Amino acid sequence: MKAFSALIHREFIEHRGAFLIGPLILVALLFGATILAFTVGRVDARFSGAIFTLAPLRVYEVGFLGFGLGWLLYLISVLIFYCADGFAADKRDNAMLFWKSMPISDFRMLLSKLVAALTILPGTVYGVALLSGFLLFGVAFTTMMITGTASWGSLGNIAGVYVQVAFAILVTLVCGLLWYLPFMGVAGALATALGRWALPVSALLPALVSVLEWVTLGGLHPFDTNSWRYLEWRLAPPSTDYLDTLFVTDAPFNALTYAMTLIDQMDWLQVGLGAGLALAAIYIASEYRRRAAAN
Amino acid sequence: MTDATLTSNPVVSARGLKKSFGGKQILHGLDFDIPAGRIYGLIGHNGAGKTTTLNAMLGLTSYEGTIRVLGEDPFAHRARLMENVAFISDVASLPRFLRVRELFALLTNIHPNFSPDKARSFLEGTDIRPEMKIRTLSKGMVAQLHLAVVMAIDAKLLVLDEPTLGLDISYRKRFYRRLLEDYMSEERTLIITTHQVDEIEFMLSDIMFIRDGDLILHMQMETVNEKFSQLVVNEPELQVEARALAPVYEETRFGQTVMIYDGVDRARLEPLGRVSTPTMSDLFVALMQRPTANPERGQ
Repeated sequence: MKAFSALIHREFIEHRGAFLIGPLILVALLFGATILAFTVGRVDARFSGAIFTLAPLRVYEVGFLGFGLGWLLYLISVLIFYCADGFAADKRDNAMLFWKSMPISDFRMLLSKLVAALTILPGTVYGVALLSGFLLFGVAFTTMMITGTASWGSLGNIAGVYVQVAFAILVTLVCGLLWYLPFMGVAGALATALGRWALPVSALLPALVSVLEWVTLGGLHPFDTNSWRYLEWRLAPPSTDYLDTLFVTDAPFNALTYAMTLIDQMDWLQVGLGAGLALAAIYIASEYRRRAAAN
Repeated sequence: MTDATLTSNPVVSARGLKKSFGGKQILHGLDFDIPAGRIYGLIGHNGAGKTTTLNAMLGLTSYEGTIRVLGEDPFAHRARLMENVAFISDVASLPRFLRVRELFALLTNIHPNFSPDKARSFLEGTDIRPEMKIRTLSKGMVAQLHLAVVMAIDAKLLVLDEPTLGLDISYRKRFYRRLLEDYMSEERTLIITTHQVDEIEFMLSDIMFIRDGDLILHMQMETVNEKFSQLVVNEPELQVEARALAPVYEETRFGQTVMIYDGVDRARLEPLGRVSTPTMSDLFVALMQRPTANPERGQ
């Protein structure tokens, strides 16, 4: 377990640029731009603060949820590149022979990459998302204090909103990672054999399957097939109608209700099958890696 | 049978080891045993099959035949085997994105027999610092670091495949001296391949010459010294006599005729000219020209 944790840590060290340093720079730029906007009068603190009087806590909720959505989109994009690149990184870095000189099997080596994509790497982006939310709340609270629409006493409510939204983002993140696990596993497995070409091949494969289905079983056009419809459904992110109802009521955001409805509306059979597919793909890739020339 | 195959518990044992790439056979059924506590030189031309043989020993490639390293099938159990085997390949293969201290910290958790204290002590006196990124190190420094890493692993078998490729002479000498002084012991076995055979000759206990996938010589160095002789002969009439003794190799160097003999009594050669033991590189050149130097191999 100690060795496996070290391998996951290795992934973090190798890819911290995309998962930690890059996001921190983004936060710093955003925060710096916000401060600058207030400083040079581009944003009127009194006017901004007054807006918060309309629905003060809802602004915090929506603002942080929006940030969370932005970070989840960022995470999806870097995870796609991680799977296509990280699984081939040992070979690209010319370090394959070094890692093969370690008492670690190829399966454990690749599994550590997949586990890193599910844990420490998204966890780091989540940490940065929390930081960005904290800074957002700080800016919002300061502007409200300037306009006199907030007091130190409202800090408790704001902290409550922060915890609720942070929990909601976490649940969304975990559900999303589990939902997209098979795509990460297959992309990683392809990258083990094809390197960066895994990215276009990952996109081509389902198209090829759909075309083959159309050729053999018929249909209106190559993408009017069962396999394509399944893929479209499977690629759609896990969702819940809770957020739709949230914005038409005055009820505060309830992260627990959101999480329960999201979890309830997930197709867990598909999650299980997807996890099985991801593991199978990684196993096959590890057998390829075991046999492929290391230098 | 060669004299090095008589041990009861060899560290490496190969029988009928074959390997093909794309229909072309690279190894033609090698048979050999490597006993514990020896320093082996595996020597051959480019493409002779040295690296393929080492890769088979290290579980890095599949093969036909049987090979056992420390009693394990290396291809089936590479991960387990690597607890007791360390190797440096012929490319600078340390992960370049790590700092030196990060590398040591990772290895401490990954390798049960790695000692960071030993690794740090091996780096004393070098310019390598813990905060340095491996990608910023020179080629020689990477070689020093890699050697420090493998020497800090308490392994029973150390395999070095062209470990000093591209390094200057001072680094190479330091590298081998360090290896001998700080690492080798009676319990450890070292297998080394290099093209600079004369530089490692002094430390070898055994040699294996491999040519076109065949093992043409496998012998202890003492036996090599007894078995092979080099004769420098200048007089034309003596050269005729010398040729009658069937040298395995003959060449002219700076106007002198040099002949190398396999198994000819030195007493018979001495009246014909100056007799000496051939250097490893002379023997390499001589034996790589002829069909086989060990006709009884594999019996």
